[in-house]
Amino acid sequence: MSYNYFLGCVIPGRLPFLEASVRKAFDKIGVNVGDQAKCSCCPDPTGAAQLDHESFLVLGARNLCLFEESNNNVLSLCSGCTETLKTVKFILDKDKEKKKDINSKLKLVGKNYKGNVEIKHFAQVLYENLEKIKEKVKKPLKDLKVAGHPGCHYLRPSEIMNWDDPLNPETLDRLIEAIGADPIDYSLKNDCCGNPLEKSDKDISLSMLESKLQSMKEAGADCITVVCPACYQQFDFNQREINKKKNTDYNFPVFYITELIAVALGIDTEELGLNFHRIKVSNILEKIA
Amino acid sequence: MQMVDFEFRNEIIKEDFSLNYCYQCGTCSSACPVAFITSGEYNPRKIIEESLLGLKELLIKDQKPNVWLCCTCQMCVEECPQNVFLTEIFEKIKNKIVQLGEPYPEAFKVQAKAVIENALAISLTPPITRRREQLGLPRIEFADINEIKKLLGATEFEKKIKLNGGK
Repeated sequence: MSYNYFLGCVIPGRLPFLEASVRKAFDKIGVNVGDQAKCSCCPDPTGAAQLDHESFLVLGARNLCLFEESNNNVLSLCSGCTETLKTVKFILDKDKEKKKDINSKLKLVGKNYKGNVEIKHFAQVLYENLEKIKEKVKKPLKDLKVAGHPGCHYLRPSEIMNWDDPLNPETLDRLIEAIGADPIDYSLKNDCCGNPLEKSDKDISLSMLESKLQSMKEAGADCITVVCPACYQQFDFNQREINKKKNTDYNFPVFYITELIAVALGIDTEELGLNFHRIKVSNILEKIA
Repeated sequence: MQMVDFEFRNEIIKEDFSLNYCYQCGTCSSACPVAFITSGEYNPRKIIEESLLGLKELLIKDQKPNVWLCCTCQMCVEECPQNVFLTEIFEKIKNKIVQLGEPYPEAFKVQAKAVIENALAISLTPPITRRREQLGLPRIEFADINEIKKLLGATEFEKKIKLNGGK
């Protein structure tokens, strides 16, 4: 199966170092991935979709058409984008009337949605290469206690995502194990990080984050790992804000799972741009050196 | 007094028939992290109840409970014993709020405007472009904005979301 990357907006436009880690990790593992054609915003399942479902379908279907034209499946770098593209496909493949209607609009830009590409989250493809990753580990991340945050749109709605257990997910923990680290259990593992509510109520958004951080702290985590740029921003950008507000001292370094994998596979940390993280990661790098 | 609006109820059921399956057990609210944090002020069961009863004013005008507080985590959907697609029903309610010109959080409008103008929710700034080069990342071409404008014109997106205010 061949893939092209679907980058989304947040990673290329705000967190390019995460993109670097994904590309380097896949290169090292030996999975070839091409580049996306001229894509737009997915669009955001927590944003535009909430305003107008029809526009959500049209823009999502246009993106899928580009992959159909290139004969490549989608390898998405973001959980939100994965959910959007899978949802659009799910709806249009099931509802012929809707597909006809959306195609009548796509005709304006010379496109036609057929429904013959598959969409995968990058962590799913990593999981499918679990044995390869284990074989290639050069520097196991021994004794590193990692709180994996699978997040919501990586898993749910399970009818559409059709991947991992939506209530007791384990794929992320298996990836953490594969690189020699220790995936810890914590009580709120399955909870939302709160990021989507930044758009409607920042206080609730931060309270949700704080609950998660507290639960990770109680479980003795050294650091956090995520598979979605929205979750990444929530954890890396907002710990300080909580500390300021609540007089707490959360200071968990936050990694994309591909950053940890890249380090374990022996990729130079300077190449990964780990210095662009807001919460410094140096103590973790020392610990695993 | 709140009036029952059968037409409104039927509109939602037409969009998502699963609404009819709800027997108000409240599993959704006990699974909802926002209901937990807000001590029940945000309450997904209540939103479904109001939808079933067709209490349009409460849902659309007063926005009580505030449907924009759904964090879209879909825990309620997974836990619901009746397979009600709550998150999708909430999306339909939000779409209606927007179309009827009732207020909705500004950040949604800001994101929509960015997509209309640049085809992206977040565009690449010069410092990010330099950082991409520094990291050895390839140049990426994004969508032709004219294509996006044509498509969003066909769905009347700007008009629906009242981008320039007004009902």
